[in-house]
Amino acid sequence: MTAASRSAVLATVAGLAAGWLAAMLLVWLYGESPRAIALQLVTGTWAVPYGVGQVLYKATALLLTGVAVDLALRAGLFNIGAEGQLAVAGLAVAGTAAGLPATTPAWIALPTALATAALAGAAWAVVPMVLRVRYHGHEVISTIMMNRVADALVAFCLARGMALPGTVRTADAIPATHLPRLDAVGLRALHGSSVSAALPLAVGVTACVAVWLRRSRIGREVVLVGMSPRACEAAHIPVGRRLGVALLVSGAIAGLAAAGPVLGNKGYFESGLGAGAGFGGIAVALIGRGHPVGLGLAALLFGTLDQGGLAINGRVPMEVVTVVQGVVIAAVALADARIRAVALRGVTS
Amino acid sequence: MPAILSLDRLEKRYGAVRAVAGVSLEFDAGRVHAVVGENGAGKSTLLRMAAGIVRPDAGAVRVLGTALPPGNAREAIRRGVGMVQQQFALAASLTALQNAILGAEPVRALGALDVRRARERADAAAQEIGVALDWDARVETMGVGDRQRLEIVRTLMREAKVVILDEPTAVLTPGEADALYATLRRLAEAGRAVVVVTHRLDEVRRYADVASVIRRGVLVSTRTMHGGAEDSIAAITRDIMGAEPPPQLERARRTPGEVRLAVRDLHSGRALRGVRFEVRSGEIVGIAGVDGNGQHELVRVLAGLDAPDAGEVHSVGGGGGIGCAAVVHEDRLAEGLVPSALVRDNLVLGELARFTRFGIVDAAALDREAHVRAARAQLSAASLDLPASALSGGNQQRVVVARVVCGGERAPVLVLAQPTRGVDLIAARAIHGEIVRAAESGKAVLVLSADLAELRVLCDRILVLARGRIAAELPPDAPDARFGEAMLGAPRPVVERSSEVAP
Repeated sequence: MTAASRSAVLATVAGLAAGWLAAMLLVWLYGESPRAIALQLVTGTWAVPYGVGQVLYKATALLLTGVAVDLALRAGLFNIGAEGQLAVAGLAVAGTAAGLPATTPAWIALPTALATAALAGAAWAVVPMVLRVRYHGHEVISTIMMNRVADALVAFCLARGMALPGTVRTADAIPATHLPRLDAVGLRALHGSSVSAALPLAVGVTACVAVWLRRSRIGREVVLVGMSPRACEAAHIPVGRRLGVALLVSGAIAGLAAAGPVLGNKGYFESGLGAGAGFGGIAVALIGRGHPVGLGLAALLFGTLDQGGLAINGRVPMEVVTVVQGVVIAAVALADARIRAVALRGVTS
Repeated sequence: MPAILSLDRLEKRYGAVRAVAGVSLEFDAGRVHAVVGENGAGKSTLLRMAAGIVRPDAGAVRVLGTALPPGNAREAIRRGVGMVQQQFALAASLTALQNAILGAEPVRALGALDVRRARERADAAAQEIGVALDWDARVETMGVGDRQRLEIVRTLMREAKVVILDEPTAVLTPGEADALYATLRRLAEAGRAVVVVTHRLDEVRRYADVASVIRRGVLVSTRTMHGGAEDSIAAITRDIMGAEPPPQLERARRTPGEVRLAVRDLHSGRALRGVRFEVRSGEIVGIAGVDGNGQHELVRVLAGLDAPDAGEVHSVGGGGGIGCAAVVHEDRLAEGLVPSALVRDNLVLGELARFTRFGIVDAAALDREAHVRAARAQLSAASLDLPASALSGGNQQRVVVARVVCGGERAPVLVLAQPTRGVDLIAARAIHGEIVRAAESGKAVLVLSADLAELRVLCDRILVLARGRIAAELPPDAPDARFGEAMLGAPRPVVERSSEVAP
């Protein structure tokens, strides 16, 4: 392990510890026993089958958005836009899944729905991509802006006819597009929880991205461009195209993250569905450190915190767990030269 | 009387590189003192230490005999050492006046800004050096020359006794440069010490009272200039370029074949102003000249990375632009290598398409080629799995050269920019061997180097690039003075045929 990666791992661990301490301090200030709350957080998640299922459900979306952010980061880009890409994809996939003829067979309906999610996510990354590749506009700014535009667009579409009258939800998707819940396909123990076939799908996508970055020509060049765009330009690697493809695939994967909530859980899209997973993905990517297993563990960690927040919500505000997230992100971002380089680009050049 | 500013055995290390290795220098009042040397010689680092911007590892900076606290720019300014850096430190959206007083605003009671007094002080400083500035203009609307004047005014308003300028004419037109030096002369006459970092010899000749040469972090010489005597310029050229014993190299007879690279009337911004030359098959042509005279831009055009504003590059067997030339770029850590990627990947950087089938990289084929190239670069197989940043500078350069030579096998032209800069002697010899081998195999080879000794050994003829033009063509055994003269940008191009090579 190099000195740089050792210090980064150290920062992650220290950040986690500091975040946990800060959260427990808040709990104590609320007049609750940190020990009791910590215990409740664990028993509410990993101690009961339903809790496990819910953790896995949350981790599914976080894994995909984490992979999306991580992929962009490997190319030297900071995609803050997973949140908006997910929201737009959620609406698009719900619209498609509800609009397909009811008789469409599953082998057509499901791939169509998934493709819609990916395409919508990628489409939402097009504007930041063009700004970045053609005009050197900083993608952090443009993707943040696109998140706000996504919010407005989703609200607009729901208000103007995509929602069922009097509600903020879309019509039901046809059954052929449903991703089966895992409790329905043999894992009875997870009974009642929302985890679905989106989970193995997410794991598969994670593996595919890892293989793509390692084995394919374009993937390898994306990583090289992320390390040194100037050297790649001098070696006649098409830097702009590689950055572009990284940002689009990143958007597509963030879009796929909408599949779990829409096709695996609700069967429709409603305002706010999946919200937060896009930003959570940034934390997952920062902790996952460019490794598929790391991303998986980080997704489980933040999935646990999300679900644990619900479990302790009766006694302390669930936002206590967001403190852990925030402190970890700050610690890792400070310690990670890669993040600093991306964040400072444009300031120093 | 002690010198206004004296540097005492200053040292600065960056990683394994000694950027400045124990330099002692004194700067006296009333003089324009030029500090010259090639890029990367350590002259900027030296003066940034003098101005407290960079903290020295050892040594001391003294103002009028008292030591400055190391690495404290604020204190250096308070004690009268001001520096105008290459990158101006101006706030583009503020006015000239706001910039002039930034950080030292005159205030009235209750902290209100005293605009009138600010303007008076700024006017006084501007008058002293005989310039007029529009104080209400926003900096972003000002030209480069005015921005630089503003920087100088700002330095004076902080009562600088020593004014240091880093490559001040790099951004100026010749007319502006003359005006700048007139300004600097006034400053010196008013009793200040003026220090100019430059690599342009003509400025040294025309304007400097004293010239110090820095080479590889060491002070080589300090000379008092007497009206720009030509022999001292020749001596300075030698000091900058180095007169080390040239590396051993068997000079084989080569017969140049037909023209492989023809560059015609190349223009690019202010950097290239009508460059033309030809390189024949089997010929090694050198481009000498001090950095910053268009070398960088020429290489980028030849590599197909930039399109020229006018003119053309023709190569037989490659067409123009990409594919015409295999290029070793000048800055190996930024352009030659991906330092954090493995040596294996760096050996085939940009050539993955060759090892790809159906979009997937054939790792075994790539590995075979990497081994071949590693052997050519005389690297152990174990080093393939190290990041390139773990190699020494010499070995990094061998990786780059091996890649360019092997990967560019079919390119008719090989271009190498500063191929042995910062490289140990053994690696340098190996690289020279590769260059000769390429010429013997029939390539047209172009070598750009700031090291004249290197070009003399390698090349069949040497072109001098000065101010974006080929100022002369000289045989490798021409005397130093001829090169020095040409590097000053002699008004009319002197073309002299080498006796050894028939065109």
